[in-house]
Amino acid sequence: MIMIGRRLLRGYRQRQVTASGSGRPAPPVWHRELSADTGAPVIEARDLRKAYGQIQAVDGVSFTVARGEIFGMLGPNGAGKTTTVEMLEGLRKADSGVAMVLGIDAGRDPDALKERIGVQLQASSLYPRLTVTEVIDLFGSFYQHRRPTEEIIEALDLGERRDGRTSELSGGQQQRLSVALTLVNDPELIFLDEPTTGLDPQARRLLWDLVRVKKEEGRTVMMTTHSMEEAEELCDRVAIMDHGHILEMGTVSELIQRRFKDLSIRFDTIPGLDDARLSALPGVSRVVHEDGEIALYTPDVASSIGGLLAATTAMGAEPKNLAVRRATLEDVFLELTGRALRD
Amino acid sequence: MRPLIALTIANIKSFTRDRAAIFWTIAFPILFVVLFGSIFSGGSGSTFKIGWADQDGTPASTALRAAFDSTGLLKLTDGTETDLVAKMANGDLDGVIVVQPGLGAAFATDGTTTLGLRTDPSQQTQSATIRQVVSQVVNAANLQATGKSAVISVDDEALQTNNIGTAAYFVPSILAMALMQLGVFSAIPLVEQREKHILKRLSATPLNRATLVGSNIIMRLLLALMQTILIVAVGGVLFGVSIIGSLALVAGFVVLGSVTFISIGYVIASYAKTEESANALTSMVQFPLMFLSGIFFPIALMPDFLRPIATLMPLTYLGDALRQVMVGGAPFASLAIDALVLGGWLAVSFLISARYFRWQ
Repeated sequence: MIMIGRRLLRGYRQRQVTASGSGRPAPPVWHRELSADTGAPVIEARDLRKAYGQIQAVDGVSFTVARGEIFGMLGPNGAGKTTTVEMLEGLRKADSGVAMVLGIDAGRDPDALKERIGVQLQASSLYPRLTVTEVIDLFGSFYQHRRPTEEIIEALDLGERRDGRTSELSGGQQQRLSVALTLVNDPELIFLDEPTTGLDPQARRLLWDLVRVKKEEGRTVMMTTHSMEEAEELCDRVAIMDHGHILEMGTVSELIQRRFKDLSIRFDTIPGLDDARLSALPGVSRVVHEDGEIALYTPDVASSIGGLLAATTAMGAEPKNLAVRRATLEDVFLELTGRALRD
Repeated sequence: MRPLIALTIANIKSFTRDRAAIFWTIAFPILFVVLFGSIFSGGSGSTFKIGWADQDGTPASTALRAAFDSTGLLKLTDGTETDLVAKMANGDLDGVIVVQPGLGAAFATDGTTTLGLRTDPSQQTQSATIRQVVSQVVNAANLQATGKSAVISVDDEALQTNNIGTAAYFVPSILAMALMQLGVFSAIPLVEQREKHILKRLSATPLNRATLVGSNIIMRLLLALMQTILIVAVGGVLFGVSIIGSLALVAGFVVLGSVTFISIGYVIASYAKTEESANALTSMVQFPLMFLSGIFFPIALMPDFLRPIATLMPLTYLGDALRQVMVGGAPFASLAIDALVLGGWLAVSFLISARYFRWQ
């Protein structure tokens, strides 16, 4: 262990010298030389298919991810997200279709790929009786190119637990450690499978910031998530998946605008105000009941609200909790899959 | 090389931090040695059963016999040399004294003669005591007879016994048992790592599977080495059992035995889906392996219907080989056969686990 530590330190010093050799003080050069940007996609999935027995888990999935993109995959449990990601990681062979990742056919030459990608798996625990530092050191030893353990511990804010056994970490800390391990080889492409599940809001922010830093460095991130907020906040593009298919793909605002050109006016249900009256209000295109709430979809909020208030005043009532809302990714998701995403 | 070393160190750390594993692989076999050793070697107390082959038949030899008797330390049994040696080899006697013809004449003519003494070299403490008693009696006889030069000299000869029920029999058996457990128990962490998706996580790195399996085997072999040293040391210090055979052969069989049982552990890991089922399967495998083999009871003493089963068990052959090379025990099979049977089990379990072991 000590020997490896020294070797690392030596490497670090040498690199610093090289970096400052140019005349002006430069930050130490640490990063893996990213392969030349040819403009080719970092991930290219072409008609991927995978069945487990009778169940067609992935049924013809095609998409591309460009360099420096944060690409999110949303979908209910069992949608085929994890299987898709694992085919791209070289962990599973596709029944048919091609997964080109960093210019490598992931199905044919997974070993060449593994050196250059970072992978976080859902529900993977670690050596329970090793400490955080030991596990990161261990994983580092598997790669030709690695970053210093201490830097990774800092990046994921695991400093306080560096000598704690992984079995004694909280759920959130284990999750952070599993993300930390994706960084040991300074990967060009990082796969995260529901990385913020179980994280508290602060740790989640920390992780999002980390992902953004990786993007700025020119790295690519592909993630699956259960969290709409995470997809809206973090992802450049998202794909919504269900039953092994990609239902919709694009930036979050594209997805919303494609389906929901209208805004919604929401208020608590008023007894006696029926749908026929509501539909007849100016501009209203659609009336939806949701949990004791009515949503009126309209391209013209001003005249619809005017009509609504006139109608309720005539009834001697008043719309309570009146709000105007733009559709969210969640609305798109609900509309596409017919179910809500639950954590 | 670096991943192999790092992974081996990680495995050793994981192992040494697991108290249950330490108990079963280190403390348990030592307890066994102490327990069995005290039960089976405590019985003889301070009297030794010695065969007395009197080929002289003169009053002088009768007087010598009386001198031995009077010590109260030796219980003499008369017989011919051939019979007594056979009894000793069977473990019924602790030593044999042969009085050469001409003892009476030597006393009468002031000549010299030798007294043959056979003891079991694997029973160090016991043999040393017998030798001491015999030489004291002989010295006294010499002094009494002439007061000058020694008439009788003792011709000390080693005779390996098949001394069932002594520490010399059990120490190699317990070593064999410990190596078997060390091997089959390798299934449990392996299944645990699969169940917790650690193996899957590892397969997302450039680490190759040969390195992974290699580091597990290296760790187990290091533990096997440690067990061997501990068990032999405890057997030596407490019960005077020493290795009389070639250390290289002992090491060779320790390695062959360990690797064979590790691969049986991989077979278990191929069929167990959860850690619980791995635990259950390991017990299901290890107890028959242990008790249906010839390591604790000679196969000849087993009921007829068990004998064919014991004859198939790999532990029978590991115990047999270790007993032969460590304490020179009477062979059940030749060393070549022992090695061949173990190699056969190794090959078969390797093929089964190569075919059925699942990484995810």
